[in-house]
Amino acid sequence: MTGRSAAVNRKGERYMEQLNIANSLAMAEDENKEVVETFQYIVIRFGEEQYGIDIRYIDNIVRMQHITRVPKVPAYLKGVINLRGEVIPVMSIRVKMGLAADEFTRATRIIILKSEQEGNVGVVVDEVKEVVTLPVNEIEKVSHESRDGKPVFISGIGKHNGELISLLDLSFITLEDNT
Amino acid sequence: MDVSQYLEIFLDETKEHLQSLNTQILQLEADPESMDTVNEIFRAAHSMKGMAGTMGYKRMQNLTHDMENVFSEVRNGNIKVQPDMIDVLFQCLDALEEYTNNIQTSADEGTNDNEPLIQQLNAILSGNKPAAAPGKQVKAEAANEAGVSEKWNHIVLDESQVKVICEAKAQGKEVYGLNVEVQENCILKAARAFLVFKSIEEKGEILVSDPCTQDVEDEKFDRDFSLIVVFDGELEELIKAASSVSEIANVTGAPLVLEENKSYQAAAVHKEEPVKEETPVSEVPAPAPAGKEEAPRAAAPAVKANEKKAGKPVVNRTVRVDIEKLDGLMNLVSELIIAKNSLVSASSQGESNSAAFNDQIEYLESVTTNLHESVMKVRMVPIESVVAKFPRMIRDLSKTLGKKMELYMSGEETELDRTVVDEIGDPLMHLLRNSADHGLESAEVRAQRGKPPVGSIFLDAYQDGNNVVIEVRDDGNGIDVEAVRNKAIDRGTITPEQAVNMTDKEIINLLFLPSFSTAKQVTDISGRGVGLDVVRSKIEALSGEVEVRSELGVGSTWIVRLPLTLAIIQALMVVVGGEKYAISLNTIQTLETIEPGDIKLVQNEEVINLRGTVIPLIRLHEVLDIESTNEPGDSLVVVIVKKGDSLAGLVIDELIGQQEIVIKSLGRYIKQCKFISGATILGDGEVALILDANALI
Repeated sequence: MTGRSAAVNRKGERYMEQLNIANSLAMAEDENKEVVETFQYIVIRFGEEQYGIDIRYIDNIVRMQHITRVPKVPAYLKGVINLRGEVIPVMSIRVKMGLAADEFTRATRIIILKSEQEGNVGVVVDEVKEVVTLPVNEIEKVSHESRDGKPVFISGIGKHNGELISLLDLSFITLEDNT
Repeated sequence: MDVSQYLEIFLDETKEHLQSLNTQILQLEADPESMDTVNEIFRAAHSMKGMAGTMGYKRMQNLTHDMENVFSEVRNGNIKVQPDMIDVLFQCLDALEEYTNNIQTSADEGTNDNEPLIQQLNAILSGNKPAAAPGKQVKAEAANEAGVSEKWNHIVLDESQVKVICEAKAQGKEVYGLNVEVQENCILKAARAFLVFKSIEEKGEILVSDPCTQDVEDEKFDRDFSLIVVFDGELEELIKAASSVSEIANVTGAPLVLEENKSYQAAAVHKEEPVKEETPVSEVPAPAPAGKEEAPRAAAPAVKANEKKAGKPVVNRTVRVDIEKLDGLMNLVSELIIAKNSLVSASSQGESNSAAFNDQIEYLESVTTNLHESVMKVRMVPIESVVAKFPRMIRDLSKTLGKKMELYMSGEETELDRTVVDEIGDPLMHLLRNSADHGLESAEVRAQRGKPPVGSIFLDAYQDGNNVVIEVRDDGNGIDVEAVRNKAIDRGTITPEQAVNMTDKEIINLLFLPSFSTAKQVTDISGRGVGLDVVRSKIEALSGEVEVRSELGVGSTWIVRLPLTLAIIQALMVVVGGEKYAISLNTIQTLETIEPGDIKLVQNEEVINLRGTVIPLIRLHEVLDIESTNEPGDSLVVVIVKKGDSLAGLVIDELIGQQEIVIKSLGRYIKQCKFISGATILGDGEVALILDANALI
C-alpha cells in the first residue's frame, strides 16, 4: 500500500500543478469581474428622453417597415411585421408608457427583443443612438413602486458622459395585460 | 460510453416495440395458443432488453429480462397463458412506458424498481399465484433508495479485505463507507478525487475504492466513487474532510455493516461461485435498517435537483421518413437550382429575351408546386401511431366497466399532418371512452333490446377531399334528447320556452358546452362534464369540426373532420378597407355580387335572399374596425362561407384571387383576437392576416 501511495503522490503533484494553474486562472477572472463588471446598453431616443435597453435582450434592429395592423388588440400593439419569414408582433413603448403616439421618421427603428416564453417581439423607437458600456457602479437602482400608482418602466438610471440614461425594465413586455 | 446520441433512436424503437407488445399481447389474450404471437412477443421483449442494457437503463433491462423469461417459458410450453398473467404483462408494459417517458423527459429512467411486478413475474415462472401486497412496494422502494446511495455496499471485497475489516472492527476502530460525488461541471475530476483521497488518508486508511484508485486517477469514473475507510474517529470528520475539497457536490457516508455488502452476502451464500458485482434486482432486497436513514436523506436533495432540470424533453420529436420521399425532395431541389440558374442566365441576356424569361418562371412555378406537395407528404404520418393504443384501452375499459365490448378499426393508414396526429389522440380517446361508458348499455338492457351481448365500437378514418374524417360510432343507446333538454332546463342553460323551439340537433349541441354531463353517475371514465367541451375546443384548435348523429336506442356517431394539413392552405385573398386578408378556401361556398337594394332587414340584421336561402350578412369592415373604401351605393362583393349547416355572407371591398399561403402563427402576444387564425407572408414580403370564417359566424 505504501508503494502505491508514493506513486499516487507523484501523480498527485502533477495534478496539484494543474489545479494551481486552474485556480489562478479562476482568480484572475474573479479579479477582472471585481474591477469592471459592466453591462452594455443600446441607447435609444423617445422624444427628448434617452433610454437604455440591455443588449443581452436584443436580437436585432431593423428599419421601419410596413406594419400590418391587427384588429381588436390593445392600442400599444401596432401589428405584425415580416422578419425574414417570421411573423413578429410589434408594440409601441410610447403608447404603453402613456406618451404621445409614435411619429415615424427616417430615424425610426424597430428593435427586436428576445423573449424565451413569448417568442420575439418588436418595439418601435424614435432613434437608435449608440451602444454604451456602463460599469455597475454607474447604475442606480430604481424602486418598483411609484407614488401615483402608475407602472414603472425603468429598472435603473445609468450615468454616461454626464448624461442620464433611463434603463428600460423589459419585464413589462412579458407582463400581459391585453385584456 | 456516451450513448446520448442514440437516445432518439432508442426512444423511437422502444415506443415501437411497446406498441407492438401491446398489440401482440392483446392478440395473445384472444388466442392463447398462437405460437407466432408468442414468438413475436419474445422477440420484441428481447430486443427491448438488449437496447435498454446498451443504454445503461438497468431497471428497464431487469423488468424486460423477467418478462422475457416468462415468454420463454410460454414458448417452451412449460406454462400456459392465463388471464391474470395477461393482466400482469399489461402492467409491466405500463411500467415500461413510464420508464420510457421518464427517459424522454430527463434522460433518466427514474428510480421505480417495480419490485412487485418483478415478483409477480417470478411467481408466474415458479407457477405460483401472483400475490401483490401493496405494503411491499413501499418497503422495496425504501430499500432501493438506500441501495442507490450506499454504493459502497456494492464494492467487491476479497477475502483479505474482509479480514482487515473484521480485524479493524475487533480493534475497536470504525469502518465507514463513503460515497463522494463531484460536481457535474468539474473539469479536473481526477485531481479533485486525488485531493479527496489525500485528505481522507490524512485521517484514516482507505481500504478499497470503487472504481479502483488507478481508474479514479485516470479519470475513469462518472461522477461519483465509493470508498471504504478504516478510521477511529467520527464519521462527520471524514465527511467534512472530503467535502472541504472544492467542486465536490455531495459526500454521504455511514458505518459499514459487513453483512450488507452484496459481495459479502453472495460469497457467504455460494462460496465457490465467482463473486458477482451486481446482484439481480429480482432478489428480494434486505429491508433498510433503521440506523441507515441518514444516508438516503442526504442523497435526496441531489435527486430532487436532478428532477428540477427536467422541464423540457431531452429529445426532439421526429418524423420517420420514407427514403423514396426524400429522394423525390432531393430531385425537386436540384430542379429548383437548375431553374434558378436558367433565370440568372436569362436575366443577364437582357430584355430581348423576355419569352425565355417567362418560360423559366413557369418552370419555377411548377417546381415549387411539386416541392410543396412533396414536403407535405414528408410531414404526413398515418394515424395508426395514435389509434394503435385504443384496442388496449377498450380492453381495460371493458374490464373496469364490466361491459363486454369490441373495438373495430378501419383506415388506420389514413395520413394526416404530424402536428394534427399528435394532437388528435386525446379527443379521440375521450370520444371512445364516452361511447364505452355512456353509449353502450349494460348487458341486461342489451338483452332486452335484442342486441348482441357484446357491444361494438367502431373507429373509421378516411380521406374526404382536403379533409380527413374520423368517425367514432357505437351501437349503444344513442343520445336521449329529452334527457339533455330537461337537464339543460334544470341547469338554467336554456329556458323552457327556448327548449320548445330548439331542434334536436341544437339540443345535442348543448352537450359540447362546458360542464354539461348527463351521466347519472360520475365515473372514473367519463361523466365529469369536462369531456366534450374539451374535445370540441381541441378539434377546433386544429381547424377541424366535430358533429354528432344519434338515434335513441340505436347508437350514435361522432364525426371529426380535420384538415389534411395546417401548414399550407389554399386561400382567397380579399381587400377590406385597403388591407389584405386571406380566407381559407375550405370554408368558402360561393362568391356573389349583390346590389344594395337586395339587402333586407330581419330583426334589424342585414340578410340577403340568395336563391331561396336567407343568409345573414357580415360587413367585414365593421368587424375589422376599418373604413370601407366602397361607396354606399356600389354593388357589394359577398363571400358566402359555410360552417356546419349555417351560411353567412362576408361583405368585402375587393377580390384579389386564389393563392396558396403558408400559415404562420401570430405568436402569444396576439391571441385574444378570435377571428384571426394566423398570418401569412405575401409575395411582396408584406404580412396578411388570415380570417377564420368559422369564428365570424
